[in-house]
Amino acid sequence: MIVAARWVLVVAAMLFALWLPADVPQLRIQAFLILLLAMGNFFLHAQVLRRKPAADWVVYAASAADLAAITALMLVQGGFRSDLYVFYFPAVLAYSVAFSSEKTAAYTIVAVAAYALIATLTAPTDGAVLTVAVRCLMVVAVAVCGNAYRRMEHRRARGSAAAGAAAEA
Amino acid sequence: MKTPTTALARAQEAAEDIFFGQVVLIYARWAVVFAGVVMILTAGDTRQLVMELVPIVLLMALNFFLHGRYFMERPANRRLIVAAGVIDLVLLSAIVATWPTGAGVTSPFFVFLYPVVFAFALVFQPAYAAAFGALAAALYGVVCFMGTAYSANPAADTKTVVMRLVTLLAMAGLGTLYWRKQRDRRRAAAAA
Repeated sequence: MIVAARWVLVVAAMLFALWLPADVPQLRIQAFLILLLAMGNFFLHAQVLRRKPAADWVVYAASAADLAAITALMLVQGGFRSDLYVFYFPAVLAYSVAFSSEKTAAYTIVAVAAYALIATLTAPTDGAVLTVAVRCLMVVAVAVCGNAYRRMEHRRARGSAAAGAAAEA
Repeated sequence: MKTPTTALARAQEAAEDIFFGQVVLIYARWAVVFAGVVMILTAGDTRQLVMELVPIVLLMALNFFLHGRYFMERPANRRLIVAAGVIDLVLLSAIVATWPTGAGVTSPFFVFLYPVVFAFALVFQPAYAAAFGALAAALYGVVCFMGTAYSANPAADTKTVVMRLVTLLAMAGLGTLYWRKQRDRRRAAAAA
């Protein structure tokens, strides 16, 4: 799931970096970060294909790297005026259905805090701060929905297993 | 060819998906309502405040009704949830199309679509999720490309809209991917 979301991030970010490209220094940073993510994801995807899931800490670190890369790209493009914040949505979606509630909450709080800080400091007007708040709320909403569904699916699976065991007995 | 037993089991599975999953849609709609309350703070005059208030109050009323049914252990059926989803899309598109301080591509409130499209994809079968995601993207695209004037830089605006549409459709696609994984896991567990 996280691997698929990261491929979306990599392909879309690369396409949009090449469409109406920025000046060379900015484009260089964008390409570097996107290629780093692609290489890391290729490694993780290879592990999945070989049915040897990566260690937990690698998965956690990769998700942290996703959020850091999106934040860095957004910062390079000027903070508030950058449109790249929309990439937070698939990134948050991916870990919210894969990680525990505690980890999802921790990652989301850090991501939203980093974005809110950068976007608020670079916002052109006071009114724009409310727009930042709305964007942050929607990122949190995606995390809550994804993780709520994950917990609900776990409860459902436990219920089915218990029913199966009772029927067998 | 499907046997009646398999078809029945799949219909029951789809009904359970909706029964258990609809709370996620309710959460997503409450998040939009809450964010809508925040955005009302940007209203500059009475007319603007009224225009901003109407869609939020409608969404809130809809969610009270659906959440109330859920609390009473009488969750909504598929048809009602799909209708509520379409109402969400229409109201959210109206917000984007008519926002007094910036409509269409300049409206910052397209972000409301992300949790709604994602939650829908978690609850419904891929065909429904794809149709809903496509409808959301089409409505947003129409609002941006045809309904409102672009800014001074139309090429950059087009890129921005396409980026938003790609990520929006990715939310539907990834939600469906997770839904399929969970379904396969359940079926494997049942077969074991």
